[in-house]
Amino acid sequence: MSITVRIQTQSTAGTEPELKTLEPILKTENLWKLYHAGKVEVPALRGVNFDVLPGESVAVMGPSGCGKSSLLYVIGGLAQASRGKVYVDGNDLSTMTDAERTKLRRHKIGFVFQRFNLLPALSAKGNIAIAQYIHGDGFDPHRFEVVTKMLGLEGRLHHRPSEMSGGEQQRVAIARAIINEPKILLADEPTGNLDTKNSDIVLEMLRRLNKDLGQTVVMITHNPEATAYFDRVVHMRDGIIVDGIPAD
Amino acid sequence: MMSQFVLRNLFHRPVRTAIGVLAIGFEVMLVIVIVGLTSGMLQETAKRIEGIGADIMVQAPSAQMFLMMSGAPMPIKIADRLRELKYVQSVAPALLQFSTAGGVETIWGIDPASFHAVSNGFVILQGHELQGPDDVLIDDWQAKAKKLKVGDTYELLNHKWKVVAIVEHGKAGRIFVPITTLQDLVGARDKATLFLVKCTRAEHTDDVIAEIKELLPTNPVRPVKEFMTLMTSTNIPALQTFINSMIALAVSIGLLVIFLTLYTTVLERTKDIGVLKSLGASKILIVRALLSETALLCLMGIAAGVGLSYLFRSGFLKLFPTLSILITPGWIVRAGLIALVGALAGAAYPAWLASRKDAVQALSYD
Repeated sequence: MSITVRIQTQSTAGTEPELKTLEPILKTENLWKLYHAGKVEVPALRGVNFDVLPGESVAVMGPSGCGKSSLLYVIGGLAQASRGKVYVDGNDLSTMTDAERTKLRRHKIGFVFQRFNLLPALSAKGNIAIAQYIHGDGFDPHRFEVVTKMLGLEGRLHHRPSEMSGGEQQRVAIARAIINEPKILLADEPTGNLDTKNSDIVLEMLRRLNKDLGQTVVMITHNPEATAYFDRVVHMRDGIIVDGIPAD
Repeated sequence: MMSQFVLRNLFHRPVRTAIGVLAIGFEVMLVIVIVGLTSGMLQETAKRIEGIGADIMVQAPSAQMFLMMSGAPMPIKIADRLRELKYVQSVAPALLQFSTAGGVETIWGIDPASFHAVSNGFVILQGHELQGPDDVLIDDWQAKAKKLKVGDTYELLNHKWKVVAIVEHGKAGRIFVPITTLQDLVGARDKATLFLVKCTRAEHTDDVIAEIKELLPTNPVRPVKEFMTLMTSTNIPALQTFINSMIALAVSIGLLVIFLTLYTTVLERTKDIGVLKSLGASKILIVRALLSETALLCLMGIAAGVGLSYLFRSGFLKLFPTLSILITPGWIVRAGLIALVGALAGAAYPAWLASRKDAVQALSYD
């Protein structure tokens, strides 16, 4: 899928908006993911067709076990597709080796998890800096300052995860995910372990990342209220996308 | 960042780290102490032989380098034939008997007159020379170790000896008795373990050796000065095998402890490994992180092991003042390298396992 949009850029200010064709930054074609329980094949994804445009924010909703997390792991390159195609920024993940997918993940994808998944031995600063280290460009103090300031983490950088609240931990996780300016931010129920107040803070931050910085965001959620922060909502059921039909 | 990550991980579980450090420390200590004890005893024995002042030592054809193992296969009359040789000033026969009663002892049976002629006698700290058949001389270290003084009775080889003198250490053995009494006690009448030869001038040593070799072609004849260099574990039958076995045992312990430590670490950090993979960490990076952690743990263990070795030596020498543990920089480095290689070998499989973990399964691990 590609769409044609009118874009008013600075160079064309005062003139007719320029027509541009946007290619999806994320695209799946007949995507299948099968898990093996002994000799039995259990399909988690059954031919998913899914597109996300650059700068778009998409919430994926659906009941437990419908394949939302599997979809996230496959499009994030953490799991290999069983059948079908996955394109991330023009790269076909389905033909890539594990090492190639690791490299792509390092440079183009950021993850935020439900349980924060911070490294317990490191401080907040260490958790964010290690992402920069793995990325390979070394510690960028300017970028680090911008991100931590934006997420309100300045005063908590030397605290370990065990010394921080859930909301703070999730903000550190978001900082870690975006510190290397990934093309796509994938969030797996990021508010699932948070109270309402902290959920709103995290969702607002994801919205700001999308609106202010143009960050492409795909979020999985159970929470219907969370979808209000997103451009588009996609529903899943039984391993497929059921557009227009509420899953619950 | 990697060093910080490794360091923080190491100190995140201080008890486990302490156990790992201690295990490697004991491994290193075991190697240093075992090698130090054997080489220390050998060197100390060699120094005492050198301290006699003889120029040449003649042993029986089947004799061992380690004198206490040699027995008494030579007729004592050989001494008379040696005395007839040119440039020979004096000859002292000695009968050596190994005793394990109350410790590991080598009893030197000597003829006081000839031994005095070769060695210029003992430096007597208390008491007098051997006179009676049941007299015993002991050196000051032996007196300290056994808490003996002049006039005490000292039981050796099921025989009651009277301590008649305490002499300065550093000459031949630590216990000296009349050779005739010892010959009777061990059933080696008119036999000697070795002959100590003093030349008229030290420069004649080679000439006298040549003469003795002509006279006793199958007997080992050595300049005493050479003895020091020959007293190494490789020249003592089975000793090097014993040392190698002990080193292998120590390495096995270290390897297994590190394997277990790293294996449990990898299990515990399954989720962390999943997180690193989600951030794009390569397999090499994960292996490197774990091996670096092991190497750091090992370096701490080596430092602890060196410290423990010196601590052990000071305690050991208080308990056994007649023994010697020689700690050399060469063996500290070797023990460290052995521990490092063993630890890295032990960590290799868990590290490889970690690098191959499925990211999705790792992330959902609790």
